[in-house]
Amino acid sequence: MERWALVSGLQGDLDLYEQIQKELKQQRGVANLFVLGDLIGSQRKCNALLERLRQPKRADLQPDCIYGWWEEQLLAECGYRGERKAEGLRAEQGEAAVGELLASVDADHLNWLASLQFGFIELDCALIHGSSADVGDRLTGDTSALVLLDRLTRLDVNRLFTARCQRQFRLELSGGSIQSHVKDHAGEQQSEQAVPKRSVIGIGGGRHYTLYAPATDHIEFRIAGGPSNASGRGFG
Amino acid sequence: MNHAVISCLHANLAAVEAVLDDIDSQGIQTITCLGDLVGYGPQPNEVVELVRQREIPTCQGCWDEDIIDGLNACECSYPSQLAERRGHRAHHWTADLLTEENKAFLAELPMTLRRDKMLFVHGSPNSQHEYLLPDMNAFAALERVETAGAETLFCGHTHQPYVRELRQGSIRVKVQQRDQGAPTEQELELPMRRIVNAGSVGEPRHGRTKATYVIHNDNTGEVTIREVDYDVAKTCRAIVDAGLPEVFAWRLSQGFEYAERAEDASHVCER
Amino acid sequence: MGQVCLISGPPGCGKTTWALQRLQQHQGPCAYLRLEGEKAAGLEQGEDSGIDLTWLKDQVPRLEEPATANSTDLEQDNDGLTLIEVQQFHPPSKEGVEGLGDDVRSKLEALQLHPDPLLHFGRDPELPAKDTLEFSKLESWHTSLSGCVWDPNSLSSFWFELVNGAYGDVYRAKGLMNLPDGRAFFCNWMVSQESSQFLPLDATAPPQGRPSRTSELVVQGKALNPEGIQATISDCLLADDVLAMQQQQLQQQQPTSQG
Repeated sequence: MERWALVSGLQGDLDLYEQIQKELKQQRGVANLFVLGDLIGSQRKCNALLERLRQPKRADLQPDCIYGWWEEQLLAECGYRGERKAEGLRAEQGEAAVGELLASVDADHLNWLASLQFGFIELDCALIHGSSADVGDRLTGDTSALVLLDRLTRLDVNRLFTARCQRQFRLELSGGSIQSHVKDHAGEQQSEQAVPKRSVIGIGGGRHYTLYAPATDHIEFRIAGGPSNASGRGFG
Repeated sequence: MNHAVISCLHANLAAVEAVLDDIDSQGIQTITCLGDLVGYGPQPNEVVELVRQREIPTCQGCWDEDIIDGLNACECSYPSQLAERRGHRAHHWTADLLTEENKAFLAELPMTLRRDKMLFVHGSPNSQHEYLLPDMNAFAALERVETAGAETLFCGHTHQPYVRELRQGSIRVKVQQRDQGAPTEQELELPMRRIVNAGSVGEPRHGRTKATYVIHNDNTGEVTIREVDYDVAKTCRAIVDAGLPEVFAWRLSQGFEYAERAEDASHVCER
Repeated sequence: MGQVCLISGPPGCGKTTWALQRLQQHQGPCAYLRLEGEKAAGLEQGEDSGIDLTWLKDQVPRLEEPATANSTDLEQDNDGLTLIEVQQFHPPSKEGVEGLGDDVRSKLEALQLHPDPLLHFGRDPELPAKDTLEFSKLESWHTSLSGCVWDPNSLSSFWFELVNGAYGDVYRAKGLMNLPDGRAFFCNWMVSQESSQFLPLDATAPPQGRPSRTSELVVQGKALNPEGIQATISDCLLADDVLAMQQQQLQQQQPTSQG
């Protein structure tokens, strides 16, 4: 039974990454490792982790990485985003944080970070850092269901895996409908649309990561270094 | 009280004058414009000056923005090289002809206008380039209005007028948080919301050559889609006299858009 | 004795379509020749740019041209069929080859071709008459598109404009157009038909660079606007760098061949 490991928010922590790699080897059937952004951060030097992600050791589960909010801030500040700079980081944490971020990543990693994709679509699942509306979009279990449905609709997928909020949750759209009435020059049309059975899953961040089995739709929320919280029952 | 909403004038003076006459003849005093004052058509300065003179509150359209910021949309905006070349030709012609004063006016236009519980945008609250089509996912359509904090959303950009009412909506969810026990269930009742597309004054795409706009009564909520005859041949002559591609005149006279729109209406180019 | 059959008729009446059917039904060796018939005042012949021959040879690969084949052999070969197509606005004024004008008569003499039967669309019941129109005045315009490659969506837009009157009253349009993926299309429209034909040729070129095969456009109608047509065509054709990029993308999309 093939499973995906979904990780985010490593923020340069190579020790944490090695811990997770070790745990994944002990798990059954983990065939893919997706790192959903925030590989870097301003709090520690990130180069060793980036080198390891770019050139995995032979025994490592090969990581597939996408960029996240922190990568976006760094790339913007370094001129990869046209006129934009790291406005989000400046606003949230001040000028000093921008300086710390620049110091934490060597310039020769920039092109590789710029080459990372926004997200992956695999087997009707979208793996994204925030959402397709914005890399910084914080989707949580408390986000309006209307907004979550919109984010799923934009990608037209059944499952949206998001990391930005750093929380682990599963929100399943389980029912509902809406009526639409349109009047135009051709006349009037009425239709009803049902809420599709789709889910948004927060995969966590840092020590909190998630294992997912696409075939059974089973989720397992885990903490690196802790006992398994196998509370995720497959709703599907 | 009745108010009028017009959109997508596209430098078509004869059409704009006819629509304003139609609005005036009904005693309607409040008009809002959803942008694209210029683009493809032969009289950009005249149309901008008429809107300025009438002091019509206007939000910035995608063409207005392109004139100010320069062309940097991705190629997916156009479905073919032919459409792209024609669009670029029209853009450069318009940018060369517009006076600095009229450009400054377009640059100052706000992205959105708000009045009471109504929001006025060119494309969508997210972007001047996003098309809100009448058959887009109903929940996504409702999200556009609701997230913008409005009850009625007026938009243009598609050049095809419609009124869409989204009602009796609800969404049921089951939420499992990591450190919770059993999942919780909730039902979200959705409010009734409307999207009103004002069509196009200057470049109709609804299969006929008449200019379109809408009248909304903000007490009763009633919306009327208006079609107005205008002297199409006069605009066609102006197109040819201005040195714009003659085929633009043919396309306008047949009720076709000047250059086809890309099919993927949901795509929003990331600049 | 092999058969030599001559068919004549105005533009768009279906000569080439009928010729194709006849050739596909024929089992033995075959040849095809296209000529222009008697001139008529105010009626310009559509330039013979090789469109019909190229199309027919693509669909019937064994087809020869009488100038290259040993036409005497074909006449004497019981299995031989030579089809001659003549664009002629009005029914021939006289019987036989004489009624098709001096040009046709002298060319057939030079090739030692003696056609029998000679059939005219709209006159002879053996031929379908549905597309035969009377023309009192007809202009003709053509352009070579050799080495040109079209942006596919632009071709659709251009063709739509052309047949719907954006560049004059077009009665007939036909062309052979190249696309970036190496395919070529025979585009054919006649005012009496409801829709255009877009028929892909069987032979394709590799999606690399510009093909060297025949590519032409012929337009017949009234009040034609050649400058407008040419300007739009220029906007539809791919420049070298854009063509290279499109072809590179196509190659990347190709499934990798099994080793």
